[in-house]
Amino acid sequence: MSGEHASSTVAVRVRRLEERLVAAGVVGDDQLDAILTKLLNGASPVNGARVVARAWTDPGFKERLLADANTALPELGLSMAGGLQEQRLKVVENTETEHNVLVCTLCSCYPIGLLGPSPSWYKSEAYRSRVVRDPRSVLAEFGLELPDGVTVTVWDSSAESRYMVLPRRPDGTDARGEEALARLVTREGLIGTAAV
Amino acid sequence: MSSFTAGDAVRVRPVDPVGHTRVPRYIRGHVGRIVDAQGQWPLADDRAAGITEPRVETVYTVAFPARELWGEGTHEVTVDLWESYLERAAEERA
Amino acid sequence: MSRVNDVGGQTGFGALEIETGEPAFHADWEARVYALNMALVRGGVYTLDEFRDAVERMAPAEYLAASYYERWLHAIETLVAERKVLGDE
Repeated sequence: MSGEHASSTVAVRVRRLEERLVAAGVVGDDQLDAILTKLLNGASPVNGARVVARAWTDPGFKERLLADANTALPELGLSMAGGLQEQRLKVVENTETEHNVLVCTLCSCYPIGLLGPSPSWYKSEAYRSRVVRDPRSVLAEFGLELPDGVTVTVWDSSAESRYMVLPRRPDGTDARGEEALARLVTREGLIGTAAV
Repeated sequence: MSSFTAGDAVRVRPVDPVGHTRVPRYIRGHVGRIVDAQGQWPLADDRAAGITEPRVETVYTVAFPARELWGEGTHEVTVDLWESYLERAAEERA
Repeated sequence: MSRVNDVGGQTGFGALEIETGEPAFHADWEARVYALNMALVRGGVYTLDEFRDAVERMAPAEYLAASYYERWLHAIETLVAERKVLGDE
């Protein structure tokens, strides 16, 4: 958004703020580094993809996941407790007749632990304003054209729940194992702006 | 504690608070259908105002047909709403 | 009263800008802002709701002209000043 000069000005502002907060003992440099290491190493759409692949191959897990995702996630060594507080996770399933897509119109709520840091478009006014009003036009910009018979539900995460889409399993993947299936699942598939 | 159950018709109170709230303006005054109760959570409005003992209320997932919100469209929008944002609506609108 | 962040259903923001292969942060300072905010919430300097409130209190023109992490920086600076975390200034 900002030009190079504006960026360096803001970088200086941030450095000064950080130095003063560290000097005052409010935050620690090690603490900040640890927060970033945890985010960059732990939060990834690979986590969400593993959940999807398990749900595609294990009907019992899928049933538990859709009923209560928070109690199903530990089966894969995952949880929703990695952030500032434990959040409720609701997984919504795409079918032949129903398509789900996620947004936060008020800010940028997003299941970072399962999907990684959110893309800029997800945080943009363009996306947040329009997907609740005209989701099909937004999906079309991602190249996703849904048949007329498909009902679209837009989930505006305005409180303490976070959402994840369970995409449809692609045709012709019956022979693939869980790991190979997980590699097919994209971040956009987990948000609902793309099919898998 | 929860006043509403799945299927109930609810109206988003047509309020316009001065401070922080988690009611998007596009649903204010509109009628939706309770999908789900999510358990009890501290009210964001109170926490944002620095109230140390915020009200704790049931949060509901509420579904709104596009036609109710925009006068057209076939999709549905669901929004997560604290109980005090909602009031019971006449059944025929849901 | 509705604030500038409350954009659901508004028109005029144009087409999406979809960046392929987007990194988690576009500059190191964005990562530092992210970490500072997490640390300040964890440390009890302010709550996540107070942080959202501080973002929303930005003047609308300023909010719309700012990038995502510039908004965060603005909110952190606002709250740090209001709470006199660094003493009286």
